[in-house]
Amino acid sequence: MDNLMKRITRDVDLSFAILLSFCVYVFFAMNIEVFFSHNISFAILERFAVLGLVGLALTICIIAGEIDLSIGSNAALCAVIVVKLTDPLGAPFAMLIGLSVSTLIGATQGFVIAFIRIRAIVITVGTLMLLRGVALLIAEEKTVMLTDFRVPDFITTKVLMYFSPASLTVIFIFICVGIFMRYTKYGREIYAIGGARKEALTAGIPLRRPMIIAFALSGFCAGFAGTVIGLKSGTAQGLGLQYLLLAGTVAAFVGGVSILGGKGGVLGAAIGALTVNFLNTGLVFYALQVHFVQLFTSVLLVIVIVFQTMSRIFDSRQARKSLLETIDDRKTALLEKKRSVLGK
Amino acid sequence: MASNPILKITKVSRTFGAIQALKEANFEINEGEIMGLVGENGAGKSTLVKIISGFDSGFKGSYQINGNEVKFETPSQAEGSGIAIAQQELSLIPNMSVAENIFLTGAKVKKFATLNTLANMARPYLDEVGLTDVDPTTRINLLSVGEQHLVEVARLISREAKILILDEPTAALGEAESRRILEMVERLAANGKSIIYVSHRLDEIFKITKRITILRDGVSQGVQQTKDIDVNKLVEIMLGRELANMFPSKADHISDDPKIEIKDLWPDGVLEPISFSAYKGEILGLSGQLGSGAGEVLASIAGALKSRSGSLTINDENFLPKSPSQAIKKKIAYCSSDRKKDGLFLGRPIFENLTSPALSSISKYGFNFGSTEQDFSKSLAKEFLIDVKRMFDESGLLSGGNQQKVALGKWLSIKPDVLLVNEPTRGVDVGAKSEIYQRMRDLAARGITIIFASTDIQEITYLPDRVITFYRGMMIDEHRLENIQTPTILKEITDPFNETNL
Amino acid sequence: MSTAIQENQQPFSAKFLQFYKDRTLLAILLSLFAVMFVYGIFFTDNYLTLTNFKAIIRDAALYGIMAIGLTFVTLSGNFFLLSLKETASICGVTFAMGMATGFGSPDLAGNFMVSLLAALSVGVVSGVIQGYFVGMGGNPIVVTLGGAGILYGIGAWWSDNLVINFTRPHDAEWLGTGSFLGLPSITWSFILIAIAGEIVLRHTNFGRKVYLVGANKAAGKATGHENFSMAIIVFTICSVCCAFVAVAFVAQMDSAQSNYFSAEFGSSGDMTILVIATVMVGGNSIMGGYGSTLRTSLGAIFIAMVDNMMVLQGFNSGPRIVGVGLMIVFSIIVFGLFAKGSRAQE
Repeated sequence: MDNLMKRITRDVDLSFAILLSFCVYVFFAMNIEVFFSHNISFAILERFAVLGLVGLALTICIIAGEIDLSIGSNAALCAVIVVKLTDPLGAPFAMLIGLSVSTLIGATQGFVIAFIRIRAIVITVGTLMLLRGVALLIAEEKTVMLTDFRVPDFITTKVLMYFSPASLTVIFIFICVGIFMRYTKYGREIYAIGGARKEALTAGIPLRRPMIIAFALSGFCAGFAGTVIGLKSGTAQGLGLQYLLLAGTVAAFVGGVSILGGKGGVLGAAIGALTVNFLNTGLVFYALQVHFVQLFTSVLLVIVIVFQTMSRIFDSRQARKSLLETIDDRKTALLEKKRSVLGK
Repeated sequence: MASNPILKITKVSRTFGAIQALKEANFEINEGEIMGLVGENGAGKSTLVKIISGFDSGFKGSYQINGNEVKFETPSQAEGSGIAIAQQELSLIPNMSVAENIFLTGAKVKKFATLNTLANMARPYLDEVGLTDVDPTTRINLLSVGEQHLVEVARLISREAKILILDEPTAALGEAESRRILEMVERLAANGKSIIYVSHRLDEIFKITKRITILRDGVSQGVQQTKDIDVNKLVEIMLGRELANMFPSKADHISDDPKIEIKDLWPDGVLEPISFSAYKGEILGLSGQLGSGAGEVLASIAGALKSRSGSLTINDENFLPKSPSQAIKKKIAYCSSDRKKDGLFLGRPIFENLTSPALSSISKYGFNFGSTEQDFSKSLAKEFLIDVKRMFDESGLLSGGNQQKVALGKWLSIKPDVLLVNEPTRGVDVGAKSEIYQRMRDLAARGITIIFASTDIQEITYLPDRVITFYRGMMIDEHRLENIQTPTILKEITDPFNETNL
Repeated sequence: MSTAIQENQQPFSAKFLQFYKDRTLLAILLSLFAVMFVYGIFFTDNYLTLTNFKAIIRDAALYGIMAIGLTFVTLSGNFFLLSLKETASICGVTFAMGMATGFGSPDLAGNFMVSLLAALSVGVVSGVIQGYFVGMGGNPIVVTLGGAGILYGIGAWWSDNLVINFTRPHDAEWLGTGSFLGLPSITWSFILIAIAGEIVLRHTNFGRKVYLVGANKAAGKATGHENFSMAIIVFTICSVCCAFVAVAFVAQMDSAQSNYFSAEFGSSGDMTILVIATVMVGGNSIMGGYGSTLRTSLGAIFIAMVDNMMVLQGFNSGPRIVGVGLMIVFSIIVFGLFAKGSRAQE
């Protein structure tokens, strides 16, 4: 029990994320009979393939102390490339090209951010628009479409009852990135530049390497999300997928990442994405219009933010309390000395 | 016992543009020795230490390690030769564990490692610095500041440092924590490491060092055997003789008309409630090391630091400000010790800085068309000897001394009754120092009560009319006019209870 | 340790750059203008006509006005609002509701003042609430992200996501499609608001506080200027500007629906991003404390010029968006490189 308490308080935000996820799922499960069924679970995991990826992309950037506003455009660009090239070149090769482009775009952004020392939020405002235009150009202002529907069929086949090739690959990506972020020196560098940029640089961490890696990963995940959407639906539009930014950001925060950087993790990203997913899927049953889904998703975000803010206030109150306690501990001994030596 | 020093600096000089930071520095240290490095602000300690640790290669002179000439272009090269520095500002990542922080960077850091692996690797280094009861998987921000400093040193040792430079390691620490640092230093030396201990805390210098190198104005004043010297002699060598001219003469007498009475003020960080008064037209100095309570009292009078209790009486009004804007309304001005952090608007022009606390007095119905402000800021600038022609320059372009003048001068715009200053001349060159002291005396003569806190012994001795000493969160004693003597004050702020037999 | 020495170490070139930085940035902005201008004259038909220039400024007006409001937020160091288009959406719907139904009382239907006040009030409320949370210490990005979804949701819910129509003739015609002395009302609004913005920033205490708090929050607090009230006020200013633009646009369209300001607004897509980009292109520092609404206005006109030129040259949306996007990235990089002087204390 003690150990459990320790683990919970060690990462309060993550614990809250898990609790929230559980609550949302139970809420819908209790009110909708079929929510438990494996069909719904399959649908949830299918959605997770996309939402999880963008949540992961943004989680990594936010951990690094930045944010990537261009992931929606990057995803759309990759979707367009992949869908366009699948017919002539075959899906695997098209994917290779598309993902390379997305990752390269991400890496370049990371390089520029580190080299010129500007904030990502500023530069990705521009790249969001730039990549959109490029996607639109490549798609020649049309909706690109697949003619051979074997690929989409393949991607959506059920594997092991709950999964599909898409969701399995995404889970694999999560595991790899999770291991990378937690157990390698390079992952730790990303945490360091996010949590305490000045101290990290003073300690000797080069800014370029973790920044490029973080944004390359983000670009890769965005591209993969676009690939999944594109190949599953068989279509892609240059201007599409802008909603991914909002969805991914909410998933990241609901998963316990902190806007201050340096906190959060891949596990949190997965949980956040699942929670938002539960919400979206559950709301489908209520036949609500899109704007309601957005409303409730935002409310979810607000709940998480309020919790994080309150827990920070609580932490600082605790810190002051323990400071005052330390002082009071020292007090008696020192004051005794003072009275004996100086007579006051 | 050691015959040849493992590190030897001979006749080193270093010039930055027009400023000669080091004129002739000599320094050496033996294996397993703890060498103290002392000197006033601006004496050249940080320059010397940067040269030793490889952060600065633009010097002239000889730098030898084990008898071989070396020239380090980067700190990593210095680390390769076993020299590492723990700076005053920690470079630890608060959200990460101790073990991860220790093995964050450096050539030998493993590319792939679980937290447990790192924890096991960190254990011996943690033991060596005295953190035997700290779990390496603990997050840094859960440790006390003192323990964090120890972790920083553990990081250095993990990189096989043989010569460690500790720059003001106990500056922000309380008594118990400082003791841990000192114990660690002695343990490291016993294990054969050499420690260069840079500190203002002369009591600690006397506790653990074997020899002391003194720097003054960029010139080494020789090495002293610690056991052959006492505090006063040390301070004399550090300061030299040319002091008194910098300071204006004190007041003839202290008025008995209290301007501000402080009752039972209990700021966070102070052991017990404090009461004292400050009189009209006097300069009152609060003396004490960092964390002794002097700075804390000042900040809480201004509403910039929380207090558990207390009240101020000023102009027959009884209150306690809860925020700086409340204090400003009551004509209490407060200038903190870190002007870059909250004393200046670096990107804005000087005149905007000067009028910032008193926007309502330069405008009519909220509108400001320039002329009132220009005249007002010009007169403020003249008061503090700031070049009027530079009014439109960004304040970030000024020298340290001029920046401090702006940071202080802007408070005149609210016509304060009480002016509180923490470290009035930190990072200020000698010329500007004396100008600031003169200004302070003039303001006092006009009836403004000035209370300042300072860790500069000269300043405390020669500027104020009265001094109150603080030690480890307690008020110790009060001295007036001619009874303000450097030795007494030094004793009271470093070792009032006779614990180290100085 | 001795900081006096480090301060005097600044190389001459850095000091030179800082001294002339303001003029340099302005010079760069103006020369970019000149290049565009010249290119436009030589390579585009109909570029050098009065009608065309009027069209450019009219195009710039809508997002320009919102950008001027946003500039206050950015200058005060509170970054930006990600809820710009959603604020416009709900305010536009409010205005249309008023014009169409009078909020339930038929004799108020079509009353411009009532509808306008209602729309502006919605703007004020949303600004105050978001500003409150940011002033209490919340991160603007996160707060306004949440605010965006909630505002949009409420607006769409209230209007059932339907198009709300009101017929001509109506009281708002003068604003939507009217003109005065040859310039459309919206252009006049842009000019007036731009001038008002500059006056407030340069010549009022409030404007000074915006710069001070933006330059250094801690120093602002120490001199008696808290960010709490500042955040609320600037967020309100920005939201009211969004409300105004929404009203003008709705008056032009004689209708409103929640998604009018989403996705496909204008040729360059996302309105929120366009407005943010406008502020950045003008060279305002994202960390606050440096910039002006004049720069933002120039930024808006500049973006409009680029877009206009591409339209005249017959480009499709794709290349146009690339063009605007490239310009934004380019100016951000250039300003980023130049601003490395005194403001790079991160």
